Amino acid sequence: MITLLDYGAGNLASLEGALGKLGYAFQRAERPDLASPESLWVLPGDGHFGAAQRSLAASGWWAALGSRVALDLPTLGICVGLQLLAEGSEEAPEAPGLGVFPGRVRRLGPGVKVPHMGWSMAAQTRPHPAFQRDAPGWLYFVHSFALDLASSTVFSAEHGRAFTAVAAQGRVLGFQPHPEKSGAFGRNLLDQSLRWLGETPEVTA
Amino acid sequence: MPAKRVIPCLDVKDGRVVKGVRFLNLRDLGGPVELARRYDAEGADEVTFLDISASEEGRGTQEVWVRQVARELTIPFTVGGGVATPEDFTRLLRNGADKVAVNTAAVRNPSLVRQAADRVGSQCVVAAVDVKRDGNLGWRVFIKGGKEATELAALPWLQRLQELGAGELLLTSMDRDGTLEGFDLELLRAAARLEIPVIASGGAGTEAHFLEALEAGADAVLAATLFHEGTLPIPRLKRFLSARGQLMRLEEPCSL
Repeated sequence: MITLLDYGAGNLASLEGALGKLGYAFQRAERPDLASPESLWVLPGDGHFGAAQRSLAASGWWAALGSRVALDLPTLGICVGLQLLAEGSEEAPEAPGLGVFPGRVRRLGPGVKVPHMGWSMAAQTRPHPAFQRDAPGWLYFVHSFALDLASSTVFSAEHGRAFTAVAAQGRVLGFQPHPEKSGAFGRNLLDQSLRWLGETPEVTA
Repeated sequence: MPAKRVIPCLDVKDGRVVKGVRFLNLRDLGGPVELARRYDAEGADEVTFLDISASEEGRGTQEVWVRQVARELTIPFTVGGGVATPEDFTRLLRNGADKVAVNTAAVRNPSLVRQAADRVGSQCVVAAVDVKRDGNLGWRVFIKGGKEATELAALPWLQRLQELGAGELLLTSMDRDGTLEGFDLELLRAAARLEIPVIASGGAGTEAHFLEALEAGADAVLAATLFHEGTLPIPRLKRFLSARGQLMRLEEPCSL
């Protein structure tokens, strides 16, 4: 069972659609006490880093996430969800990050259009047990800020400069693109991630 | 740089995809979900839905089809038409749209664009702008589906939309729309100087027209009739553009 953190920031409908097609069972949880700690937690996020962090803090999720990642329990961040797992962001210098992925999130540009919106090629930068294939593929990105390349980077992409497309640290994974909106390649990466994080599809897609 | 995008546009009325000939004789083409799925399989990079329902009933069915499309599509989609308040943005995004397009309401109340960008992030806010060439203004902005002229000159208005926080521009040349004579390249060259992505719309008739638009600086190209009627299949168009040096996303269609 996968728990989707429903804190008001994030396009859950698409994610639910993708999980359903891939055959995974999932539930939304609006509060941490409604989420099973044993399940995989998926932290979505669209919009502003600071707004998302404040919303998570106000609803009790932030403290629960902090304890969780300290114990290295399976957690998957998507888009701003990945950024929240870094040390912090230029977008909201006053807001903390969860500090799982080393490095800070910085604005893209200058010299390129921001937001970075559309399909970019992502390439694996180091072997990781979650991912079987190492051929680069197209993923869908929508963001203005990005995590620099660091030791946790597994896939990198480029928009003006190279940045982290997928990060992994222990049992915590993060995607800057939206794998659920990234065609067959994205869904395959999502599927591999979920399996490595301990989930098993209930029905074969 | 990201790949250039090819975007089919679907007009939806009361939960059905329709096609009009000069805004008349709306013809039912099927459900939004089945058509969107077809375009997804063909390799479209996004899909845009413009909901032209005027009725209460049409508005009510909107949430249902938006939710269904979100569950089916493996690519992003934009919903526009009748968006008037920040709550409309939140509602459509909560139902699964990736981006929301606003047109008339942005002209009447420009602060709406700022409010929406603050609330949902610029990346979800598409400013749709319909323009017509004009002796005095260069290009004049029209609202209400092209029915009402404004006093706005298009280029300063596009700049303003960027400053207000729009994340992308969907720029339609009304002069070219439906003509199949090609995009307004001069307009696209001017708009491409902005910092946010520009989707070119209006006038596509051949593969070469799309190439011209991208070479003029458009980040994405949008069309309706050509794709709906199968005159120009999307895989063929993308291969054409790729062979002529445009960065395109080419891969096996999703089989899920």
